[in-house]
Amino acid sequence: MNKPNFSDKKALLIEDMAEARIMQKKMLNDFGFKSIEIAMKAESAIELLRSHSYDVILSDYNLGNGKDGQQLLEEVRHSHLIPNTSTYLMVTAETSTEMVMGAIEYAPDGYITKPFSQAMLERRLLKLMENKELLIKVNKALDANDYDTAIQEAKVVANKHPALQSRCQRIIGDALISLERYQEALDVFVESRKDSKMPWAVFGEAKCHYFLNNIDKAEAKFRQLTLDNKFFVSAYDWLAKTLVKKGELDSAQAVLVDAVSRSPKNLMRQIELGKLSLEVNDNLMAEMSFRRAVFLAKHSCFNEAEVYLQHMASIVALAREGEIPSRQVDNFQTTLSKVHQNFFNSPEVRSEAYLLEMELYSALGDKKTMNQIEEVLNHDIESGQAAPLSATSKRRIDQIKSLK
Amino acid sequence: MQKIELTTILASAIHESKNQLGSLLYQLEALKRLELGSEGKKTLTKIEEGMKQLNDEWVEYLYLYRLASDGYDVNYDSHALEEFLDDQVFALKPSAMAKELSLTYKADDMLTAVFDERLMTAVVSTAVYNALRFAKSKIEINATMEDSYLIISIEDDGKGFTANDEKVDDMLFTTNTGLGLYFAELSAEAHSIEDRKGVIKKLKSERLGGAKLAIYIPQ
Repeated sequence: MNKPNFSDKKALLIEDMAEARIMQKKMLNDFGFKSIEIAMKAESAIELLRSHSYDVILSDYNLGNGKDGQQLLEEVRHSHLIPNTSTYLMVTAETSTEMVMGAIEYAPDGYITKPFSQAMLERRLLKLMENKELLIKVNKALDANDYDTAIQEAKVVANKHPALQSRCQRIIGDALISLERYQEALDVFVESRKDSKMPWAVFGEAKCHYFLNNIDKAEAKFRQLTLDNKFFVSAYDWLAKTLVKKGELDSAQAVLVDAVSRSPKNLMRQIELGKLSLEVNDNLMAEMSFRRAVFLAKHSCFNEAEVYLQHMASIVALAREGEIPSRQVDNFQTTLSKVHQNFFNSPEVRSEAYLLEMELYSALGDKKTMNQIEEVLNHDIESGQAAPLSATSKRRIDQIKSLK
Repeated sequence: MQKIELTTILASAIHESKNQLGSLLYQLEALKRLELGSEGKKTLTKIEEGMKQLNDEWVEYLYLYRLASDGYDVNYDSHALEEFLDDQVFALKPSAMAKELSLTYKADDMLTAVFDERLMTAVVSTAVYNALRFAKSKIEINATMEDSYLIISIEDDGKGFTANDEKVDDMLFTTNTGLGLYFAELSAEAHSIEDRKGVIKKLKSERLGGAKLAIYIPQ
């Protein structure tokens, strides 16, 4: 194996504080990186990651008012903006280390605690890059979604390098889950955990039980994880999923409410809570969650019309329950105008948005406005800008029209 | 005035100070880039080591606060001991060299164990800083596995635990409050498997003749 060096590597530095940014840039310069690009906040980092690839990403946990480094990592990993072959090093303060380490599902490759010297950073980066080099075949297979090869290669690495054994076991377990070979995955996680409470292994076990329909075991393990690791919020999500599978929707909703209060900035969780709240007819909570989701979606990788439409649907549901304050109508209009701006070139979205608006005015008892909107909708359908109404949509219109 | 939770306030005050120290250390990195004479370099190293030690002590106090108030979640993960101790020695070696002491480690290449890396980093550095004050010429860190316990031990060739009279010291910090040992004890105890808990033992070093602090972590 070649010893890694920096001269053919591209780096991205994400740091909001000028002093630290200048210092870290100098350090990376001294290491001899081929190029170093800089983002001052998560949102601009996402833009850069969309269009460029980097070998090394050095990101501070604390990134000012926007997303923090962990949220950034979760988002870019989730949407595959960073290949597994890149090295992600998180810079933490002593207090945030726990939160980073608590986020077991989307972990950085490593972290370094402030303050650190140049020598310390160099050493840490070289070590991580060396490991990436050892795992290169595994990570390339993972990036190609070729899980069988990833498992084969991970076994080879685990045999040769005892220090990487635990990492490889985890990769193998997760790959087996992706291949839906849950019983084999379960064996791997149980074997690597032995008696310890290593959270990633317990998490893997719990997920396997969930997929194998051992619901009670899954529930017990996810619950244990939430008790042992208060920063491991994904365990709450999975606990909620498990309770949904069990049919206990109200307890599932309560778990998500708790999780959201722990990390309110997670978009996917807000969406989940919104959906679940609609199902248990807690429309107020649904509206609140989708409103937050709409707010969070703007600067994220998941900026999709669905979130906005669901927010509007939750306000329709509220209006059907009884009288709503006028600010809710404002909320509806605000979100609708965002749909106008961002998604109206999609005929399906356009039809759905008009339909929801009709439903809202029907629920508010404003037939005149409702009819006006229908005219606009029909006009847009004729001109081809809006999609023709589906059978379900027609039924929805018949329903509101049959009301007095 | 309303009565306030003083320990919490002290903890956050320490946290603030630690952050300020961190930004001073950053500025020191800039100073290190300048052409300094050998005297200047020596002084700079001494200041840097002193500040790093101060930083590590505050980290210890913060963990101590969290451990004592049940606010710390242990982060269990599997680590190769060779790598872990190599990191510790790399970080602490300059402090040892500044006092002309040797600092080495020994661990089997194949040895891996499950523990909280951050917490044990703080414990090892606390123990090494302590040993730095008493060692005559060397400090050794060892890791072994016995009866399903990982044992990390820090040994020196000083006078041992029974005769710990303070040695005159030109580093910045010389006082011994016993907090370090208490911290090591709480950190070890925080690691548990079923009903087995971690412990620390204060022993005499058979090999070096001085003190030996052994930290037992259940596996």
